[in-house]
Amino acid sequence: MAYSDKVIEHYENPHNVGTLDKEDPNVGTGLVGAPACGDVMRLQLKISDDGMIQDAKFKTFGCGSAIASSSLVTEWVKGKSIEDAVTITNKDIAQELSLPPVKIHCSVLAEDAIKAAIKDFQEKRARRQSGDASAVKQPTTQP
Amino acid sequence: MTHFDVFGLTPALELDVKALEQQLRALSLEFHPDRFAQADARTRLAALEKTTALNDAFKVLRDPVKRAFYVLKLKGVDLDSEASAAQVKMPLSFLEEVMERRERLEGLKHARDVEQARAMADEIEREKSAALERAKVALERDDVPEATHQLGRVRYLSRFIEEVEALEEEALS
Ligand code: FES
Repeated sequence: MAYSDKVIEHYENPHNVGTLDKEDPNVGTGLVGAPACGDVMRLQLKISDDGMIQDAKFKTFGCGSAIASSSLVTEWVKGKSIEDAVTITNKDIAQELSLPPVKIHCSVLAEDAIKAAIKDFQEKRARRQSGDASAVKQPTTQP
Repeated sequence: MTHFDVFGLTPALELDVKALEQQLRALSLEFHPDRFAQADARTRLAALEKTTALNDAFKVLRDPVKRAFYVLKLKGVDLDSEASAAQVKMPLSFLEEVMERRERLEGLKHARDVEQARAMADEIEREKSAALERAKVALERDDVPEATHQLGRVRYLSRFIEEVEALEEEALS
């Protein structure tokens, strides 16, 4: 199958491959898979307390299109707010990389990964906030 | 017309592949385009279509994994389709395990440790067979969500095994 030039570019020289600290409260991790092929992708975002994406890293075990899609979205989301980042769709990705229809699930993977990473961050934050709330209450119940 | 219909079969998870192959040979002869060389265009086209349908059906039905995926598809979940596959969500713990294993395999690739990779593939092969068996039981019971889940596992586990096979090929060349 012939890949477009942009796919090859990202595939040969992927941007932002790697990992961020999963335990960092400001890091959201999105782990997603494609049942159409059995490939997996992990996308991690470092998000500031006011919801700006400062860094992005990915690790993808998949085809060239999936690697290019993840490389592309890490570039796209950096510097964006999480509200803007969730609006990225697989269509945007597929269009930018000129993916053929049989490769749509590979870009869907990248879209799902962004959403999953942001959701993970938000859940962490919510947990932290409820944790903070109980931490504030604690002194009154403890001597 | 389903792949089962092509062979006059009712959908089933267990099939006698030898018998199926014999049936394929007999039917292929019967509908061989050469036998219709003198016939009118419509008959020729029908014979050609039948031949194609036979071959397509055989490719799916001969393979127990493909057959199970196909039975699931007949029940409404097509794990091969680009669209519906994206909606099938596997549990996070499973995906984490897949990711971990793929990372481990990547390390073995770099170290050119084909033996260790093969050992992983053998273990995964066993898990895959178990998942396939569970999927079949679920399909018999018409439990589509469970069958989808188990065949989803089969898909990821197969992918891993393919990777190991590719590594082995590479090591040979
Ligand atoms: S084929 Fe698996 S991600 Fe593209």
